[in-house]
Amino acid sequence: MTSKRGIAVELSGVRRSYGGHTVLRGADLHVEAGELLAILGQSGTGKSVLLRQIVGLERPDSGRIVVGGIPLERYLAMPPDEKPFRIAMVFQNAALLASLTVAENVGLRLYELAHQAPEEIAAVTRRALEQVELAGAENKMPSDLSGGMRKRVSIARALAIDPDLILYDEPTADLDPILTEQIGQLIARLRAVRGATQIIVTHNLFLARAVANRIAVLDQGRIAEIVTPAELPKSRYPLTREFLRAAALEG
Amino acid sequence: MEADVIDRPPAAPGFFGRIGAGLLDVLQVLGEAALVFAKALRSSGLRPRDRARLAAQLVRVGTDTLWIGALLSLFVGMVLVVQAADQLQQVSQDVLGPIVGLSMTKELGPVLMAFLLAGRAGSAMAAELGSMQVYDEINALRTLDIDPIRFLVTPRFLAATLALPVLILYADFIGVWGGALVVAIDPAITISVHAYFNRMLEWVKFSDLVIGLVKGLVFGMIASIVPCTFGLRTRGGTEGIATSTTAAVVWSFILILIFDFVIVRIGFTFS
Repeated sequence: MTSKRGIAVELSGVRRSYGGHTVLRGADLHVEAGELLAILGQSGTGKSVLLRQIVGLERPDSGRIVVGGIPLERYLAMPPDEKPFRIAMVFQNAALLASLTVAENVGLRLYELAHQAPEEIAAVTRRALEQVELAGAENKMPSDLSGGMRKRVSIARALAIDPDLILYDEPTADLDPILTEQIGQLIARLRAVRGATQIIVTHNLFLARAVANRIAVLDQGRIAEIVTPAELPKSRYPLTREFLRAAALEG
Repeated sequence: MEADVIDRPPAAPGFFGRIGAGLLDVLQVLGEAALVFAKALRSSGLRPRDRARLAAQLVRVGTDTLWIGALLSLFVGMVLVVQAADQLQQVSQDVLGPIVGLSMTKELGPVLMAFLLAGRAGSAMAAELGSMQVYDEINALRTLDIDPIRFLVTPRFLAATLALPVLILYADFIGVWGGALVVAIDPAITISVHAYFNRMLEWVKFSDLVIGLVKGLVFGMIASIVPCTFGLRTRGGTEGIATSTTAAVVWSFILILIFDFVIVRIGFTFS
């Protein structure tokens, strides 16, 4: 697994509705190559929907998404072997395949593409698991793991494909504060070691401040403001103020 | 996945609106099933890893249906003889063998085993894929550039399509012997087991077996593609999984009966 520069991500005027419900109302966002951006917002404001548009699991009703300088549609239409870069996603509930072992889950893409010898894939898998501090868990089943461990296996699965862009959907949801801090440290370490672009969707202000270069606030289906962690306490935007007030109360 | 931002509640549809929506839903299911079928067929070229998954599915289909299939066929054969013997008491019980043989090979064996496959293995397929859909496992496959149809549907489709004709032969065999058992022990039946089999072999032709096997191939496709389609279109958590599983079994049964009629009709047209 090489160190990456990452790829830039550009969203302009992205709209997405479900029936009569509009979730994204023209979201604009630019993420620099190698940047770690946190998207902060209340539950139900379309943060996960935004992430699903970027990875191509859903298509926007209108608007444009460009990843690594290539329109997303064109990138998605490319055969896996011909894609110039890779995008990985860490799902909120880890989304590990229950019938496969940890090692099979982590090495799944490599086994399916079958370009490498099984020994090489096993080595990649082992390294990815070491990076998330789960060495030795190769033969366990997902049902044997705690919530935090499943999240880390999910991150290892993302790392195993050597991605240029990693998307995290609520990586600390349902985790206790200690596990949340561990996952935060892991993401920050990966940024330092690997250099891939990372986008984290979260409603956890502490996580966003601890790991991100910039924080984008999603409100009413649009990116309402983008600030650095240092600028965050001075924000005048009402939703950001609400987050800061709630965080201060929690603190 | 987050909840949506609500602009306005959609207006409740009227009577005709509900009928129209229902029809559209039926057409959408059929269209999706046709698409899944075409994709599964296209990705049927098996690589070594696909072969391992196919073998695993064949074992699952077999273990799901073998014992209950044997029990079902045995009793169906036995009941057929008892019912027919009673009706034929005043005429001749000579045709008991042909009745059981033709019923089992041409109709009961294929339909019963297809229902069993759809009810047991098919419902498991719908529930498993539905759960994977709800918990983002299928989306995870997509983000890893793995085609969910090749990875999940094709092995199940091939396993059911290959297994059902074999299961039908197995059901035919056990059903016929179930009938023979009743012929041997029931004092109300006046023919011998020897006569039962002799008359059966006079009447049941190889083409009758072939018709049953052709039905098996078609029903096997239905009993796997329909549940997989419903699994993949599952929405809405645990309740959605339950709804998909039930719908998959009901739709499979209906389509099996419709295609049964079509195959029989075409068979008579060309015979």
